Amino acid sequence: MKFISIAVKDFKELVRDRRGLFFILLFPIFFMMIFGFAFGGMGEGNTPHNIAIVNYDQGTINSTSGGNVNYGNNFITALQDANYENSSVKLFNITTTTDSHAKDLLRQRTVDAELIIPANFSNSVAALINNTLQSSTGQTSSVNSSTINNTSTVIISGDTGFMGFGVAQGILVGVLGQYQDDIVNSVNNQIAGTPGAEPTKFIDTKVQSIPGTQNFTQFDFLAPGMIVFAILLLATTVAAILTREVESGTLLRLKMSKMRSFDLLFGGLIPWSLVAGAQVVILLAVAIILGLHWQGSFYSIILAIFIGIIGGVASIALAMIIASFAKTDRQAANLGTLIVVPTSFLTGAFFQLPGVFLNFFGHSFQVYDLLPWTHTLTALRSVLVFGSGWNLVSYEVEMSALLTIILFVIGVFLFSRTRLRAEN
Amino acid sequence: MDFMVEAIDLTKRYDDLMAVDSLNIGIKKGEVFGFLGPNGAGKTTSIKMMVGLLRPTSGKVYINGIDVQKIEKGSIGICPQELMLWENLTCKESLNLMADMYEIRKNIRDPRVQKLLNDLFLQEKADTVVSKLSGGMKRRLNLALAVVHEPEVVVLDEPSEGLDPQSRRVLWNYIRSMRDDEGKTVILTTHIMDEADQLSDRIAIIDHGKLIRLDTPEKLKKEIGEGDVVDIKLSDPLRNEDLIHDLEDQKDVISVHEVNGRINIRALNAVGKLPMMMQTVEKLDLRVADISVRQNTLEDVFIELTGTGLRE
Repeated sequence: MKFISIAVKDFKELVRDRRGLFFILLFPIFFMMIFGFAFGGMGEGNTPHNIAIVNYDQGTINSTSGGNVNYGNNFITALQDANYENSSVKLFNITTTTDSHAKDLLRQRTVDAELIIPANFSNSVAALINNTLQSSTGQTSSVNSSTINNTSTVIISGDTGFMGFGVAQGILVGVLGQYQDDIVNSVNNQIAGTPGAEPTKFIDTKVQSIPGTQNFTQFDFLAPGMIVFAILLLATTVAAILTREVESGTLLRLKMSKMRSFDLLFGGLIPWSLVAGAQVVILLAVAIILGLHWQGSFYSIILAIFIGIIGGVASIALAMIIASFAKTDRQAANLGTLIVVPTSFLTGAFFQLPGVFLNFFGHSFQVYDLLPWTHTLTALRSVLVFGSGWNLVSYEVEMSALLTIILFVIGVFLFSRTRLRAEN
Repeated sequence: MDFMVEAIDLTKRYDDLMAVDSLNIGIKKGEVFGFLGPNGAGKTTSIKMMVGLLRPTSGKVYINGIDVQKIEKGSIGICPQELMLWENLTCKESLNLMADMYEIRKNIRDPRVQKLLNDLFLQEKADTVVSKLSGGMKRRLNLALAVVHEPEVVVLDEPSEGLDPQSRRVLWNYIRSMRDDEGKTVILTTHIMDEADQLSDRIAIIDHGKLIRLDTPEKLKKEIGEGDVVDIKLSDPLRNEDLIHDLEDQKDVISVHEVNGRINIRALNAVGKLPMMMQTVEKLDLRVADISVRQNTLEDVFIELTGTGLRE
């Protein structure tokens, strides 16, 4: 069983090469940590959004009490008190400041958005209250003119290219709408003389999360992508090691012996597949520490290791292809990086790419689906993040395995042809 | 005659370069066969073709009468001039690995590996990783890996390169024992003329891809010229050419060469010719810084046949 001797040799070389081990195991962990800190929220799914508020509201006279009332301040208090649903976490961290200072904070991205409350905000709220009163008592004639004259515009300002702004402005618009609804309800209840029930709604909307995803962050999407990235990085390391075997002449020694291509390549597969499986476990553990909302069980870890090993075999096949053309281990590492990094983007490890479809015999399919790691990633996301079982990921795993076999055959063919035959 | 290794019209051409030109060599079973030639003469290319690692442009190589491309793997062992070692394996692990690759059973492998480690003085370093071995130890391990499967033909490509005299002695003794005790056929390429002279039963000298001479060291030395070599060093080496020019015309002087700034004059009865040589020196108003007389060596033969020009 020569392939076992080769596997043992590769395993010993692997564990004794500290620098190589560092690159294989620790480098992806560093990546995972960076992404975890950036997008994970460290175990807290809901985090307050920082907003700066500039309040120009001059207030208005309360028609019933005759005193001065500032609805701008009232709205700020409402924002400060707002919590995430079923949570004690505040929606906003509020800084009340001037417009120029708020703009500075926006540029520094210290705040996600700036909210400018106009000078006539209180007049508008007062008009809304009057409007509600008049419509409830049937005096509809003056409603329209009152509304038109007292319309105010609350400005939400920010960097539209910044994801934080996108989220914060969406929540602010919702909270402002809720504030208006609460005023109308309150007036209606006062007219009715009771705290009253909510008015009947005929059409309502409700945002519903997939079970278990209520607290999800961007990191939950990214963590399986990082595992696939790490598995893909194996191709760079294995290609460099295979090329080093050529460069150091040890492959020539093996070539002279009774070793077959199968022994070398299959023997090499064993330790490297184990590394791929270990990467899945280690990176999953790191991801959970960093805030991944893992929903799986022990069974899903076993399934994820299996999926990772198939992805690892695909990476080794890619390494053989790279090693067939690279002349030095440095060249192999460079060429590997040049291939692995764009490939990890194509698989959607970091973000979803726009769909590119190909038609083949009347069937339409995504170009990215030709890469085995795309299926590895989909399966890993499904298993690790949503806790899916074999039934739900079997198609992805089978596709990944099929494409890996094709890639492996190409790899073996090219490597044997260029490296294991007599020179010409 | 049946040869262990036989190259017939072996030719290798790379575009415009004729690396090996119709080489015909027969190597007998159980002999140490020296393969000499300047850098780029075609030695390594010839050897690579003779062991089946390189396809010839034309010609054939037979090992024990069988086409080299069809021989059973393991018939040949190669000790390359570069160190081909797994830096992160120990000596013993490396030897065990190669033995496994040649399908040697464990009960045979273990004592054989032990003997090799003893014979090549690597026993104390058996469990040391290769990256921590000295240059000499690495060379010896390089050789051990080539012979762990006990091949019939062993090819040693400049095995002593960079070795200290002690390590070289160990290596030479081992090469002799392979021939004398185990009856192996050894092909040895080297730049160390003393090594080729002491170890080889026969020597082939090739240059520009062609075989120039093939004979025993003794016969080669006789063929090139019996007698001695007068070695002169002038105080002013810039005038070496003047002396060489005048000496070349003299009767009974076989050849005159400049080697490393010194003048080597080969002549029959060199001691008797010394007065005549000194007269020439005086006539040219030259001064001798050093002079010695020694016997003809294989290096003189090599220089005589391949010249003194650099081949890099």
